[in-house]
Amino acid sequence: MSAWRAAGLNYINYSNIAAKLLRQAVKSDIRADAMKRSDAHLKVTKWQDGKPIKESTF
Amino acid sequence: MFVRIGNFGGIVPSLVQNGQQQQQRGMATLKAISMRLKSVKNIQKITQSMKMVSAAKYARAERELKAVRPIGDGTKQFYDKAEIQGQPDVPQKLVIAMSSDRGLCGAVHTSVARYIRGELAKDEQNLKVVCVGDKSRLILQRIYGKNIILACNEIGRLPPTFIDASKLADAILKSEYKFSSGQIVYNKFKSVVSYTTSILPVFSLASVTAAPKLAVYDSLDDEVVQSYLEFSLASLLFYAMKEGACSEQSSRMTAMDNASKNAGEMIDKLTLTFNRTRQAVITRELIEIISGASAL
Repeated sequence: MSAWRAAGLNYINYSNIAAKLLRQAVKSDIRADAMKRSDAHLKVTKWQDGKPIKESTF
Repeated sequence: MFVRIGNFGGIVPSLVQNGQQQQQRGMATLKAISMRLKSVKNIQKITQSMKMVSAAKYARAERELKAVRPIGDGTKQFYDKAEIQGQPDVPQKLVIAMSSDRGLCGAVHTSVARYIRGELAKDEQNLKVVCVGDKSRLILQRIYGKNIILACNEIGRLPPTFIDASKLADAILKSEYKFSSGQIVYNKFKSVVSYTTSILPVFSLASVTAAPKLAVYDSLDDEVVQSYLEFSLASLLFYAMKEGACSEQSSRMTAMDNASKNAGEMIDKLTLTFNRTRQAVITRELIEIISGASAL
């Protein structure tokens, strides 16, 4: 088993961390564009029995 | 002449009455029409500017969609080639509804929700829903609120990013719900004026490892399959988000175009009525003055 999975990450977390580092490493002229794609706006809430669970935002 | 005015239900019915009040009411009607005219003009301005905004957003969404299509197609190929099917002994299924937070875009959200309602009507027990975007949640919440396990919002204002998709995929993987197969319901963009509501399949790790034709892929161990599945879920979600965003913007563009056109028609008709009523009021005043003068 790879070290990152042992640490409780899945491939999505792992590759996103790698992508984040890559974005920081690219040349400054294209970095600005790459950085624009680096944030998430989506809010995910867990639901149970037809109601949202308050403190469950990911 | 007065019969035509009756078309604008409720504004000017009092004109056909006669008697002393007529002039007063006629004046009031004139004011009512001009107020209505003003408000319709304002609505037209709003729909026109919404159309311009969504046209710009649509252009961008289509450009980005072109770049994303290979990701979606490639990921889909894996499921087709390996001929993966859901396990019959695990009946639990997952449906992911791809909509957004924003309305005023024709039937994009309702067609997704309608498909899911159909699926839910078939098998309510073993189907759970992930709602992406407030619109699909609002539609499904009332009857099938208990089937919703995850709801997402803050989508639709800005173009979706891969990070958004991976956040959602992460949430789906970490939710305790165990499913054998699932589908992503989204609107596939065809052209500026058309989209089709389509589905993308997703499968659990157990379903994939049980697939008979998985051997067509070389040197697979569990680790690779698991990692690939996690990544492919995020890719498929990302692809569906992009398709959905593009369909939504194009649909909003057409919807707003139609709304502006309809408002234009209404403005024409109201202007005509306004002018006719104005002339009728003037004519009546003249008649009153002349007949008053001749009576002297």
